[in-house]
Amino acid sequence: MTQAPPILVASNIQKAFGTNQVLKGVSLSVARGEVVTLIGASGSGKSTFLRCLNLLELPQNGELAIGSHHFAFGDGKRGPDKTRLALLRRDVGMVFQHFNLFPHMSALDNVIEGPVQVKNMARAEAKELGRDLLAKVGLADKADSFPSRLSGGQKQRVAIARALAMKPDVMLFDEVTSALDPELVAEVLAVISKLAADGMTMILVTHEMAFAADVSNRVGFMSEGVMAEIGAAASVIHRPQNPRLIAFLNRFHQRTIVPNTGGVIAP
Amino acid sequence: MYVWDFAALRPYWGLIWQGLGVTVIYTLVTVLAGLAIGLAVGILRTAGPRWVSIPLRAYIEVFRCTPLLVQLVWVYYALPVLIGVDMSATTACFLTLSLYAGSFYAEIFRGGIEAIDRGQWEAGHAIGMQQSKIFRRIILPQAIQVMVPSLINQTIMQLKNTSLVSTVAVGDLLYQGSVITAASYRPLEVYTTIAVLYFVVLFPLTLVADQVEQRMGAHR
Repeated sequence: MTQAPPILVASNIQKAFGTNQVLKGVSLSVARGEVVTLIGASGSGKSTFLRCLNLLELPQNGELAIGSHHFAFGDGKRGPDKTRLALLRRDVGMVFQHFNLFPHMSALDNVIEGPVQVKNMARAEAKELGRDLLAKVGLADKADSFPSRLSGGQKQRVAIARALAMKPDVMLFDEVTSALDPELVAEVLAVISKLAADGMTMILVTHEMAFAADVSNRVGFMSEGVMAEIGAAASVIHRPQNPRLIAFLNRFHQRTIVPNTGGVIAP
Repeated sequence: MYVWDFAALRPYWGLIWQGLGVTVIYTLVTVLAGLAIGLAVGILRTAGPRWVSIPLRAYIEVFRCTPLLVQLVWVYYALPVLIGVDMSATTACFLTLSLYAGSFYAEIFRGGIEAIDRGQWEAGHAIGMQQSKIFRRIILPQAIQVMVPSLINQTIMQLKNTSLVSTVAVGDLLYQGSVITAASYRPLEVYTTIAVLYFVVLFPLTLVADQVEQRMGAHR
């Protein structure tokens, strides 16, 4: 997948909250159509890094290029203006752990809010798009339901449809199954798999190791604010080199019931 | 045993209606002005820079932590001396009641806005919406749901608070009551009637409030 030109290049991203240096210079290049999963212990900086990719968090240092958008951060540089941030975010979809659906709007209105309010799409056209997307995530019959009437899995699928409605170049998934009841995880993962099959460029932060190994082209392991290891999914998860990664996968394995077939996690 | 004689009030009904009119108009105007002040101050206190939010905090606390009666008297008698501007009782009352209501509404707005989860802002940003649009379309509609009970409560208080304008001789319902009492020597009938009128205006408002609250929460 590395032969295609990268659609996203993040270089030397640094981010501190107060004195806590969360990201100590993280770089990542993602090709169009590639799926990259970031794993790591909580506090390793993976979610913060993901949030730096649509600039919900502004790095103190580093550069970010996505499509035609380019941002540089560092001492003496002014923060990017809000219009440029909004333009970037049109092209970068994000799905959150806690859904963050708009509770005062129906599922369909959630999905069309972006196209109508940000892209000034005609309402009728947006509704058609919205219904198509809800059908795509298996919720054609829930268009008029309010979020409070939906299960966690359904909410998360609406949230995915809402992000897709902007026709983003890249989709970011921030632990999107972590807040779900176990029996609802599969329906959300199935939607993500389908997007991967459709060629959507995606960066995921997840604790679903088996899913990560299955759906990703590459897996990156973050630890203490750096990208400690990154490579083909199978090799990172099944043949880890970094001692911290081995420890992490073993810890993870101990609290996950998967048949042990010699590797850390059954392929 | 006291003999009630409401018929004695008959010549004064015109004055009573007039007073009620003044009370209702004062309430409407100062509630609207107070809401406008409160919304602006509430937003600036959550989103504004420190040099804006600190003076606004001072304004809110001064008006919340001193009695309205003292404020009225101060604005009517003391302020004109200090700034050398003559102010009619009507203007002084309008100013004070609006600022007083504004200080309470501001805190209600601020609380309502801050009660909305940060994730709602982030979700708006993530689809490329600008700050002001997120506020208008995502945050404020939800915040208002949170705020409705407090807003209605404060509005009911505001109608009752207008009775204090009678102390600076503005002809509201209570003021007319004291005038009629002086003329008719029937304080029990007069003040009972006035209490009933306040109740008759406010009680339906609380019923409407319940309805609105239920309807707004319907999709929750």
